[in-house]
Amino acid sequence: MRNLPPYPTELKPYGRALVELARTREEILCLSGDLTRQTEIDLFQDEFPERFIHAGMAEANMVSMAGALARRGFVPFVHTFGVFATRRPLDQIVNCVAYPNLPVRLVGFMPGVSSPGGPSHQAIEDVALMRALPNMTVVDVADATEIRQAVGAIVDVAGPVYLRLKRGEIPVIFGADHEFSLTSAQVLQSGEDVLLVASGMMLSAALAAAQVLGDAGLSVGVVNLPVIKPLDSSGLLAAISDARAVVTAENHSVIGGLGSAVAEVIAESGLARRLRRVGLADTFAEGAKDATSLFRKYGLSTQDVVDAAWGAIERHDPAPRAPVVETTPGEYAPV
Amino acid sequence: MDAARRRELQRRADRLRLRAVRMVAPHGFGYLGQALSSAEVMAVLSAGAYRPGVDELVISPGHYVIAAYAVGAEMGLLSDDELATYGQDGSHLEAIGTETSPFVDVTGGSLGQGLSSGVGLALAARLHGRSDTTVFVLLSDGELEEGQVWEAAMFAAHQGLGNLVVLLDANDSQVDGPVSSITTIEPIGEKWESFGWVAHDVDGHDVAAVDKALGLSIAAKRPSVVIARTSTTHGLECLPEGADGHFIKISPELVAAAVAELEARGA
Repeated sequence: MRNLPPYPTELKPYGRALVELARTREEILCLSGDLTRQTEIDLFQDEFPERFIHAGMAEANMVSMAGALARRGFVPFVHTFGVFATRRPLDQIVNCVAYPNLPVRLVGFMPGVSSPGGPSHQAIEDVALMRALPNMTVVDVADATEIRQAVGAIVDVAGPVYLRLKRGEIPVIFGADHEFSLTSAQVLQSGEDVLLVASGMMLSAALAAAQVLGDAGLSVGVVNLPVIKPLDSSGLLAAISDARAVVTAENHSVIGGLGSAVAEVIAESGLARRLRRVGLADTFAEGAKDATSLFRKYGLSTQDVVDAAWGAIERHDPAPRAPVVETTPGEYAPV
Repeated sequence: MDAARRRELQRRADRLRLRAVRMVAPHGFGYLGQALSSAEVMAVLSAGAYRPGVDELVISPGHYVIAAYAVGAEMGLLSDDELATYGQDGSHLEAIGTETSPFVDVTGGSLGQGLSSGVGLALAARLHGRSDTTVFVLLSDGELEEGQVWEAAMFAAHQGLGNLVVLLDANDSQVDGPVSSITTIEPIGEKWESFGWVAHDVDGHDVAAVDKALGLSIAAKRPSVVIARTSTTHGLECLPEGADGHFIKISPELVAAAVAELEARGA
């Protein structure tokens, strides 16, 4: 693993992984909701046009149709932005996919405030919506390595899966030795003062924050939690019990997502651990030219993770400052 | 259609009505009107057109599953003992269809989704090279108010799904009253035609007319719809004037009268 940003990036790791998988898995179908290039499946369309179904701008029909295709032995991967993959066709997901427990893979790009496209395009409650559905597996991956491995892992899940993916340049955080698991939370480092738990785009911020806090003398643990449901409660609890306080970091509303899931585990375990949740504070996000500004404006920066940890362990002196990471084109660093 | 065939199909429709009466009787109320309005369509469909195991059957309005259960019994695929559990605690025959519902391939409940399921099944049949399969989707006219129906209709025509047939029970009934009093969905036929479908607009209680339209629809190279104009009280003279066809209340005395009427007609 590369511990610190900036990270190199890749383009279309998901699209390439799906094509590779589909070479040997003829039951895979690829559905597009009129965002083919944006969801990296132009690669699939070129390679397997007979298994590519363009559903047009009609997400309700696309999701219900995917459920029926799954009933007849296909594994449909359904692609659009996260908002249109979850919030718009929610009733169709419930009735045509989740309740019948069918192997449809809903792949939603552009999570949280990674888009300056306004609330219509920002999936800030998709994890909460999908997590609330019986039978649904929810995956929010952090980098290109995890994406590649997750595609191979989710294809064989018996029921439905929601896969949440960053759009565009995808950082490479993990090396080839990384092992994505659908069942185990991944302890990247152990620590006794504070445990940082992160998923998706906030993992890199958590790693950067851990470095800053470590340099300030704290013992900091980091857990990568790409599989938000089913949650590895026991693995998570083991890491939590080692630390005095917990900070969750998610590119999502603090209501109903990773932070809520961790809060439920802590509360039900009886452990007394202070929890701070970094994420969108029950607000829609507006008014920015780019994602960087939104991450800063809505409290999703590395500094926000550092400040939350500092507060969680009741330090009243000024928190250490996260360095500004310079990037060159083709590199990625958390805000 | 000769007179004997017509008589037999009409008796079959009345047998479906009788089974539906017996299913709702223990409850004192239920989705009897849906079985009454769709009886002829379901009788014709199940008398040769629909082949379980080859074709697919989607009941988009989940409360119409009562008619499908009756058809399943008529075809010998469900027992009368099973029908007797309809809507009772612990039964797999829920009054609004679920994943446990026997006989049907997909049932809805959240209206407007069934045609999309039918489209998916039709695409699956094509991808699997099952050219002999026809996907039948029962829709109700009230459902046409749901936008998803038209998403699916547009997509099906674009894909040229000639193996898809919609049976539209146009009974002019929805929860709050006549469909026509709530939303103007006419002209129904022209709407489907303008979406690229073949449409047949028929008297849904005339078995010969339904049979002819169904045959043409199965043979068509484009997706087809049989618009069956029906009534939720058709075929039971004993029902009181002004009965709420969407959710009929039926007393033990009325059940007795209904059974007597249907049996007298040879059900």
